[in-house]
Amino acid sequence: MSSPSTTVSTSSPVVKWVLRLVVVAYLFLLLVWPTWFLVKNTFANGMTGIQEALADPDVVHALQLTAQIAVASVAINTVFGVGISLLLVRQRFIGRRVLSVLIDLPLSVSPVVVGLALVLVYNGQFGWFGPWLEAHGLQVVFAMPGMILATCFVILPLVVREVVPVLEELGEDQEQAARSLGANAWQTFWRITLPGIRWAVVYGVVLSLARALGEFGAVKVVAGNVGGETQVATVLVQQKYQGFEQDTAYSVSFMLVLAAVLCLVVVALLRPKEGKK
Amino acid sequence: MSIDVSQVSKRFGDFVALDDVSVSLPTGQLTALLGPSGGGKSTLLRIIAGLDSADEGSISIEGVEATKLPARKRNVGFVFQHYAVFKHMTVAKNVAFGLEIRKRPKDEIAHRVDELLRLVHLQQFAHRLPSQLSGGQRQRMALARALAVEPKVLLLDEPFGALDAKVRKELRDWLRRLHDEVHVTTVFVTHDQEEALEVADEIVVINEGRVEQVGTPDTLYDEPANDFVMGFLGEVTQLGGLTLRPHDIDVSTTPLLAGATPGTITRLLRVGFEVRATVTTDAGEEVTVVMTRTSSRSLGLDQGAKVWLTPASGATTVPAMRSVASVG
Repeated sequence: MSSPSTTVSTSSPVVKWVLRLVVVAYLFLLLVWPTWFLVKNTFANGMTGIQEALADPDVVHALQLTAQIAVASVAINTVFGVGISLLLVRQRFIGRRVLSVLIDLPLSVSPVVVGLALVLVYNGQFGWFGPWLEAHGLQVVFAMPGMILATCFVILPLVVREVVPVLEELGEDQEQAARSLGANAWQTFWRITLPGIRWAVVYGVVLSLARALGEFGAVKVVAGNVGGETQVATVLVQQKYQGFEQDTAYSVSFMLVLAAVLCLVVVALLRPKEGKK
Repeated sequence: MSIDVSQVSKRFGDFVALDDVSVSLPTGQLTALLGPSGGGKSTLLRIIAGLDSADEGSISIEGVEATKLPARKRNVGFVFQHYAVFKHMTVAKNVAFGLEIRKRPKDEIAHRVDELLRLVHLQQFAHRLPSQLSGGQRQRMALARALAVEPKVLLLDEPFGALDAKVRKELRDWLRRLHDEVHVTTVFVTHDQEEALEVADEIVVINEGRVEQVGTPDTLYDEPANDFVMGFLGEVTQLGGLTLRPHDIDVSTTPLLAGATPGTITRLLRVGFEVRATVTTDAGEEVTVVMTRTSSRSLGLDQGAKVWLTPASGATTVPAMRSVASVG
């Protein structure tokens, strides 16, 4: 604490405390207070709120649907995310930079727009692929495939952005060593590359999962909003809230928050391990 | 000949890394590819291993045409400058990797790994992770890993480049002894002429993508093909239109020999047992002369003294055709 650079920042305790207070107040008003209110309202009558919500078949269906969509789209996104990362880091091709920028597109485009775009391409009446796919028995829009598609789009960057920097840092030496020892591309990937990036993949998967559970806009546009059929948990929360069933809305919201918090706890537990390595 | 490189060229964009290189590397020997950084020696090694591909030309290993063969089918052991250890595997697993890929029986693998770890003196570290080893130990492990698959040739890319001077010297001696035990055809890349002269049976000097000279350390040192080779293998100076080594100049305080070059000592520096004198000749040329402390003292040399310089009889000299590149 005697070096000049640190004395500057600690010289005025008043400034220090004011800054801390501002940050804490900001986080409290934005994050802690609303979440606390949600929890308080959920358990206003003890466990009855949650029990009643889970007795509603629409709620159970919405939660199941949300879980199915999240798991399916995270699985797809993991495979493609790792593949795209390998392509971006290990290959040199024309358009590589463009691809890298495109990966970030879902972060900047509103999910509602994404949903609309998917409807335009895949709907059964006048979409590009829709009529053909429906003629072959696959309904995309207003059904599960469309909802998975929309979620995949939204979570696309999450695995790629975790894996790419780790792959870059890992370098090609280990893979080349494996090749010179006789390993083919598949063996090199499973035995060398994947163990090297495994924590980044896990982190990307958990982030994607949290994001997929909370997706609202894109899925709502693509799925329509048929309770008990294509209604996911987030959309159900909105509908129940507007339909004066606040208790149910609070309970489902709480379950979504709980799932997201669990995801983040898993990440927090994984991070330090990675740091030690 | 174990490795035949014929008319290989390689470009990276506008940069010519290798320009029509042809060289044959003998079986069972330890060969050094020596040259300055960026001269193309690592590129040549990587092309031999199949980690890079040549734009033109062909490679054959032990008589087998290998130009189009992928790295994994060349049966070549490769050791990287920065070790390229498999970080998530134990030392034993690292060494076993090539054998597991080849689906050898478990007990055979265990036996072979144990044998190799003994060879590189790492048997007590078998269950450690590479991160718990020092740089020198990691490189020995990498060597054992490369030897495990019984490669036809062993290629080492600046194997000691990332190590500190002391460990480097130890490993250099150790590599020489290991090679005498194992006898696998070995090629290593280095920019350190001392390393090449000390360890190699044969040296290939590569500069600016071309082979300058191939020969034994003695041949290269005594009969350099040009002043680049001479300059790269040791310190040089110029005297009367000749390039020669500073310790190959005789100094006298009287004009004994006809043709001696007169000059004045402008700087005298003692480094341990050596004395390094800078002599400015009457023609204005600066000549570096190295002699022992004893001979300097017996001649009574001092700054400002008048001296006469002659090339020592039997000295290696090359006509100074062009300015000598930086001394390695």
